[in-house]
Amino acid sequence: MNVFSGHISDIQISKNLSMVSVQIDERIELKTILVETPNTASYLKKGSAVDVLFKETEVIISKGDPSFISIQNKIPAVIKKCDSGVLLSKILLNTAIGDIVAIVTTEILNALVLKENEEVIVMIKANEIMLSK
Amino acid sequence: MIKATIHKALNTAVGSMKLNVQLSIESGQLVTLYGPSGVGKTSILRIIAGLLSADSGQIEVDGVFWLDHEKKIDFSPQQRKIGYVFQDYALFPNMTVRENLEFALEKGQDKNIIEELISIVALDELQNRKPNTLSGGQQQRVALARALVRKPKVLLLDEPLSALDIKMRSKLQDYILKVHREYKLTTILVSHDIGEIIKMSDKVYCLEDGKVTKVGDSLSVFTDNRLSGKFQFTGEVINIESEDVVFIVTVLIGNNVVRVIAQESEIVDLAIGDKVIVASKAFNPVLLKV
Repeated sequence: MNVFSGHISDIQISKNLSMVSVQIDERIELKTILVETPNTASYLKKGSAVDVLFKETEVIISKGDPSFISIQNKIPAVIKKCDSGVLLSKILLNTAIGDIVAIVTTEILNALVLKENEEVIVMIKANEIMLSK
Repeated sequence: MIKATIHKALNTAVGSMKLNVQLSIESGQLVTLYGPSGVGKTSILRIIAGLLSADSGQIEVDGVFWLDHEKKIDFSPQQRKIGYVFQDYALFPNMTVRENLEFALEKGQDKNIIEELISIVALDELQNRKPNTLSGGQQQRVALARALVRKPKVLLLDEPLSALDIKMRSKLQDYILKVHREYKLTTILVSHDIGEIIKMSDKVYCLEDGKVTKVGDSLSVFTDNRLSGKFQFTGEVINIESEDVVFIVTVLIGNNVVRVIAQESEIVDLAIGDKVIVASKAFNPVLLKV
């Protein structure tokens, strides 16, 4: 699991849902959507320290301009290491907030010719991020 | 509904302690008393059973006072409708399984209950054996059946599974849940095992120094509701396999087996038999009508 620590910077609420922004460092903010509100989860308040969790298999990698892709969270990264398996491959990515691990199919790793030291954009959908106190 | 207020000065291994607790348990609930050794958990069970007298207090079960110190009401253990299961089984070694159960019958009680219990905890094959020829898990099943012969309203379980290995524990937990539901019992369990508590109880009382420090549903007491994933279950790791660049962890959740893809960093501290929370977001699962 990818885990990063940050502080809640913003919460937008609609009925039972909240869109929570978590500031990881000065530049990078991750947004998550939860079936939870400040009434049901006491840690949902501005300034609260939380961990942001997302699975390696939910990390998307783009080589080109990702501006027109409907994914909320985008972080610039450099590929540090590729570990190829038969069907799945593990990619270690270096970003401003630390290392992120992505698991993709070996087929797409080869098709995109993803290599070490290459600059890419890492993307995570808002509904794939969990918060932990 | 059980309402109990219990006060009792106890002498424990670490000195004297004042037991001051209030319990409020709905009929049909299974609640757990949790806490370190010597905080008074067993004493609470013994006081409810009438095996130990309280200094003062009240115990009301479905509107009937079993104990009311001020009114000088104090039912004997026989008058209280209680089944008690101890950690060490406490079976009669010279009697067969069936005889152990029959010995618990009240005078004139219908013997059909014996057949029913033998069938419900699967003792058919073992009914003519003596306790010393049975495994720990089998003996505890006999003890559980025996505690139910008199059709109690309240079942008290004092760490009944702590002497058993993990697989046997899980089986016995299922038997306890089965009889708890089948006989609509109100059950009070003493346990140290958080996985067991989350699996079994509706409510948990955390005790320290003779006092209740925390009450609530077990998942929120132990996980403190700290994880936002709405799709959360507690299970037991039954297998870990390496697969390409990932691992596949097989987890037993109740009677269901699920498999979860994990990373090496997630499994370094994980061993077979460990209790885990399996969590996902409410957005991921799909529903299919059956």
